[in-house]
Parts: sequence; structure tokens; C-alpha cells
Amino acid sequence: MIRLALPKGRNLEVALAAFRAAGLLSGLELSGRSLLVQLPEEEIEVLSLKDWDIPVYVEHGVADFGIVGSDLLAEIDGDLLVPVRLREGRSRLSLIGRARELPAPGSQVRLATKYPNTARRMLEGRPWGAEIVELSGSIELAPLLSLAEVALDIVQTGRTLVENDLVEIETVAEVAACLVVNRASYQRHRALLNEWISRLEAAEVVA
Amino acid sequence: MRVSAALPIGVAALLFESARRRREAEGRLVALFEGAGYSEVILPILDYLEPYEALLTAASRGELYRFIDRDGEQLALRADFTPMLARLLAPRLGALSLPLRVFYRGDVIRYEEERAGRQREFYQVGAELLGVADESAESEVLRLFLEALTREGGSGLQVVLGFAGALDHLLLDCGTDDPRALAAAVARRERGPVRRDCPRLLAVVESGLPGRPEDLGPAATDLERLLALRDELAAAFPQVDLTIDLAEFARHGRDPRLTAGSGERSYYDGVVFRAFAGASALPVGGGGRYDSLFHRLGAETPAVGFSLSVERLLERREAK
Repeated sequence: MIRLALPKGRNLEVALAAFRAAGLLSGLELSGRSLLVQLPEEEIEVLSLKDWDIPVYVEHGVADFGIVGSDLLAEIDGDLLVPVRLREGRSRLSLIGRARELPAPGSQVRLATKYPNTARRMLEGRPWGAEIVELSGSIELAPLLSLAEVALDIVQTGRTLVENDLVEIETVAEVAACLVVNRASYQRHRALLNEWISRLEAAEVVA
Repeated sequence: MRVSAALPIGVAALLFESARRRREAEGRLVALFEGAGYSEVILPILDYLEPYEALLTAASRGELYRFIDRDGEQLALRADFTPMLARLLAPRLGALSLPLRVFYRGDVIRYEEERAGRQREFYQVGAELLGVADESAESEVLRLFLEALTREGGSGLQVVLGFAGALDHLLLDCGTDDPRALAAAVARRERGPVRRDCPRLLAVVESGLPGRPEDLGPAATDLERLLALRDELAAAFPQVDLTIDLAEFARHGRDPRLTAGSGERSYYDGVVFRAFAGASALPVGGGGRYDSLFHRLGAETPAVGFSLSVERLLERREAK
């Protein structure tokens, strides 16, 4: 039996579509509040977790592998294997604000984000400085209501930005949903995991 | 006045039963090491920073607790036994008869981001064999390592073997302009960048071994020796899952083009190994050959050693 952690967030549909295209998890029905679903035929157990918790579950081996966004992987800096990235559901981690300009060189601004570590790394090479304001949601509101001059957040279609008179100033990183694997599990279940990865590759749902 | 029982992040107090369990495990390990002819060394928790300056990588520097003593000296808390032992023995080597077998036990203190399962203070036991250049040293040290693990860790043990520099030829030969980034991708088993930059490395990513041994260039003979060592150990320890996975140690390069600024503890320059007990991706122990460490400290002796985290081994026992 091997355990897969799937995210509850926006990556769930993307992940399920990819697995199904590869002929995997066909019997899976994640309904309502079930947190743990067994698929005896595929000898797999599926956990339904919050995106931010998946790296911890996989690193501790509670789940052997999982799907998690590269935005979280960069932020959390866990010791996980990342064999493939899903093709669909790409987004961008971008600097957003009310005007299309980056803060002026030498200026000190406030930057709102869910990703303080990524933000600190991004700031290292900048001619401007920022005080990081860590928030847990609705990051777009921060520049809109002047809690911060800029925000670092996920942009998918950009529709939320347009609706709120905000603009994407600069793309900091491309974001993809990644298949992550526990280091010890990869040694123990190598044949099965390699087969799953190969089927995802053959179905051309990963890049 | 009420006093809080809270402790700083990353440290723990072992009270009563948990203290007894750790002392017992430690006692059994010490008896094992002494029975194998290893003598104990007790090392200080505090040392000057200066002897380690040349050995530190950006990552290991970030882990150190450093401070200025009252007389202005830069000091550091012990973060790793092996370099401390090497720097203390290097000036004395001329007066010591080799081979030398030593073991140690004690805390190491490293700064880690606050995360579940990551302690900043953890208790290690370890053993080092100095003065043996041929592969009988790897064999002896790995047998002791496996004996300690199987006694304390029970079933579900996985030991992964590799050697430093195994992939240097492939990484440098494929024409990528950033071989260190490629090494990091191999270590994460990322197929996309490996397929794009060096398709010959894909076999290593998938199976841990090259498609053909000669793909490794001059390191092919080292692989042959490692395969023989693995077979010898697998026969002696059938209950342990022993695998060779060169991708696991992809960042342990030897060529200066790969090692400059590399993140991992970089003194291993021969066989390297790490052990996993149970499900956690955090290894319970590991080690390897580090002949060049003494050279960098102005002495010459081959050396092989390992360390084990007693707490992680015990956690494994209790989880069973």
C-alpha cells in the first residue's frame, strides 16, 4: 500500500485530470468531507490535505508522494524529490500593484505576501527595499487598500487584477503543480513510482 | 512567580522514561563500538571558529551558532563531530599509531528552520576509522554502521550507497553551461531538465545506476568496487535493504567546477552512504570516506566514518 496526498485547492482538478489521462486513479471519488480514500485495486490510499500541509506529510513519510505547487516548494524548502511537473494549471508568482512600475531605486516600500521566504530571496538583488507584511489570504486587497505598495502573489488569469484595477508589474517565477516524492519512499517503492511517472509522461500531461 | 516551562525552538528536555530509553540505547551502542575495538573521545561543545573557516560551505556556515567570546575570539558551537575530531587529531597524527579507531557521543547544534521533525540540538553517536586506505575500511565501518542500525532500528531499514564524484564525468561531459544546477536536478530526480540537458543521466535518475558503467568515465571502476561491497554487505545483513543510488549523492561532486559553493557537507570524497528507518525522509545516519579532510588540515591520513541520530532511531522503534 502506498499513500498519495492530493491538495484541496486549485491544483486538485488539474492533478486528477492528469492522473486520469494516464489511466491512474480511475476509481477515485473524492466526495464531500472524506479525508482518506482507499483504492484497493491500485493498492493506493489517497489523502486529501491542505496545499500547505502536503510538503510536511510527504517529508515525514505519512504520505509517500503528493501533488504540490512549485510556489510552496520554493517557500517551504523541504527535502523532497520532484520528478515531474504537470503541464496544465500553470500560473505565475508575480509582483502586483496599482501602477505598472516597480518601486523606485533606493525606495523602501511595504510588500504583502503569503511567501515571505521567497519575497526575501527576490529582494536580495533589487535596488529597492521592502518591509514584508505576511498575510494568509486576499493578498490583492493589500495594495488596493494601501496596506502595502506592492504584493507578491499568484496570478492565474489576471481577471481578479483587472476587476480590482491592479496590474501585474513583473513575473518573479513560473508556477506549476509538481509531483513530489519522499526520499525514503522513492527507494522502497521505486518500481511503482517510476511506472506512475512513466505513465504520466506517456500521456503527455507532464513537462 | 510562575515560571514557564517553554524551551527555545528546536531543543527538548528528555525526562524520566525518555531519558532512560536514550541512555539505554546509547549504552548498547557504546558497548558495540568498544567490542569492535573503538576507543572513546570526548570533545568540547565549544571551539574556535578559525580552524573550520576553510572547511565551511555557505550552507554549513548558515547552520553554525557563532558568537564572539568576551576576549574577542570568534567561537562556534559544535555542529559536526567529524571535522572537529579531524582538526584535533591532525596535529597529533605523527605521534599516534595508525590505524586508529575512535568513537564519540554527544550533542550537535545546528540552526534549522522551524519545522516539524527538525531539531536544532540532536544527539549523535559515531565512529571513525583512520589510517586505512583500501576498501577494507569501508567494509569494516559499514558493517559496524549496519550492526548498530539493525540492533536499534529493527526492520524496515534502507541503506543507500554511492560515492562522491560518481556523476562528475556525465555532468561535465554533456555540455550544459550550469553543471551544478544539473547536479541539483539529478538529486531531486527532476526528469525534465535532465532529459533536456543530459539524456544519458536519465538512467541514473530512474534506477540509481548508469545505463552502461562506462558512462561514468574514469569512475566506472569505483562503481565496480561499490557493487562488490554492496553484495558483500547484503550477504551479511539480509534484513537491510541495501541499494546503490548515485542520484541520491549527485551533489557530492569532486571536480572543483561542481563543488564550489555546493550546499552539502562537502568533505566526503569516496564512498558515501545514508540510512533511512521507516517512512521519514530524514536520514537516521550516514557517513563516508573523507581522505582529503586531513590533507586540508595539514596532515595526511585516509579516514572513513559514520554518525547516527539516536533520537531518530528511537522514534522509529517507538513508532513500530
